[in-house]
Amino acid sequence: MIERIAAFGRLGLDIVSSFGRSGRFLAGVLGGVPRPATGFPLLLKQLYAVGVLSLAIIVVSGLFIGMVLGLQGYTILSDYGSEAAIGQMIALTLVRELGPVVTALLFAGRAGSALTAEIGLMKATEQLSSMEMMGVDPLRRVIAPRLWAGFIAMPVLAVIFSVVGIWGGMLVGVDWLGVFEGSFWGNMQSSVDFVDDVLNGVIKSVVFGFVCAWIAVYQGYDCVPTSAGISSATTKTVVYSSLAVLGLDFVLTAVMFGDF
Amino acid sequence: MDSPAYISLKDVVFSRSGRRIFDGVSLDIPRGKITAIMGPSGTGKTTLLRLIGGQLRPDSGSVVVDGHEVPKLKRKALYSLREKMGMLFQSGALFTDLSVFENVAFPLRVHTKLPEDMIRDIVLMKLEAVGLRGARQLMPSELSGGMTRRVALARSIALDPELIMYDEPFAGQDPIAMGVLVKLIRDLNSSMGLTSVLVSHDVPESLSICHYACIISDGKVIGEGTPEELRAHPSEQVQQFLQGQPDGPVPFHYPAEGAAQDFGLSGGVS
Repeated sequence: MIERIAAFGRLGLDIVSSFGRSGRFLAGVLGGVPRPATGFPLLLKQLYAVGVLSLAIIVVSGLFIGMVLGLQGYTILSDYGSEAAIGQMIALTLVRELGPVVTALLFAGRAGSALTAEIGLMKATEQLSSMEMMGVDPLRRVIAPRLWAGFIAMPVLAVIFSVVGIWGGMLVGVDWLGVFEGSFWGNMQSSVDFVDDVLNGVIKSVVFGFVCAWIAVYQGYDCVPTSAGISSATTKTVVYSSLAVLGLDFVLTAVMFGDF
Repeated sequence: MDSPAYISLKDVVFSRSGRRIFDGVSLDIPRGKITAIMGPSGTGKTTLLRLIGGQLRPDSGSVVVDGHEVPKLKRKALYSLREKMGMLFQSGALFTDLSVFENVAFPLRVHTKLPEDMIRDIVLMKLEAVGLRGARQLMPSELSGGMTRRVALARSIALDPELIMYDEPFAGQDPIAMGVLVKLIRDLNSSMGLTSVLVSHDVPESLSICHYACIISDGKVIGEGTPEELRAHPSEQVQQFLQGQPDGPVPFHYPAEGAAQDFGLSGGVS
């Protein structure tokens, strides 16, 4: 019994200590004065790695999810003779929820895991140590551009996801199932509010982007520098990011859309 | 020791994961000389380099490098001091996304505002010094282990440091690569007036080039002096290490329960 209590206590201490380390790590990354001349090219390179290279999976996923929404929406709404509302249903679902959330989950799986593995491998092969010994702070040289790139790329990817999803929904709803195009776009335009829906969705994706990128770079930097350690850190990145996104989504939704 | 100390460790105590790595180590490393730090695997030789470089902080004791108390330095001062240090890591630690040329140019680009043509000339000179000017366009994945360390060596001397630390430079090298590295370490030290700290357990190679050596074991310095003084050292543990004897003060058998008990022999083992 005492052992179980002690183990529980150790677990608690580990969790608190991990939060503390990740907070100090974040302060170290964000604390420095940015140097545009050296920082901007590094940021561009990372934007390409985490943003542009994630485009394919985001676009394809967005297209299929939009098409599925079109099909499901039509099936349900046509029972009530309301298939003309399919446009607003697809747009609101994507812009408010699926765009930010699914993009964040895909981002964690593709870019987050890649970031963790890359940083972990740099640690295991002493590249981060060698940088420190050359008088270069790896937090600012390696970590900061990756964190900012994730933070910037996520909202853009989420918007692209939503736009492609709406287009996919239109392909199914209008071009295939024959919903009138005017009501598809007109209902969408009248019911989607820029601030309440679009901007809140973008704010969600900004928060998710920051959290996913933070978890990814921290797990890479803090991993045990062995193949097993990197593997475990990569898994943690995907699991923790997914849970954080889903949990935060509930909180943000309650704050943004909860009418209480 | 004739030269003044460039690095001075006094009563350094360092523990990690509950294990005491150094238990009051004191050591002076002379300026402008090659000092070999030797000892069995796992005695904390690399840890000692990290303490000197300020990547780790001792639990107690002082680590002074060129008059600076390293553990007490602020971040900026520590990074500034590191610009005077070069370190050759055991793995080479080249940046895998940069070519050989860009790896060597990296510290120059970060710490200087030299024009591109001058950076090019310096990089080619450093690569020429390690015999790899012709390999400038290769990527790290295309290099052999020996070449990787030579490129890493060129990178570590790019800023003309005062101190260079070698972490197991000979480990896993074939005889030719080992000979090349021995020559490079000796030549660079004499031509650039460097203070060199060489961590290794390759006794013949290390003693052949060092001016001063010390052996660390069980968290303490068990012997130090010139190579000749070490060879004549009275300590059995020092002699066991230098001559590579399998048994001695460091026993062949890891401590264990009685063999009779493990093998189930009630009458004992004859």
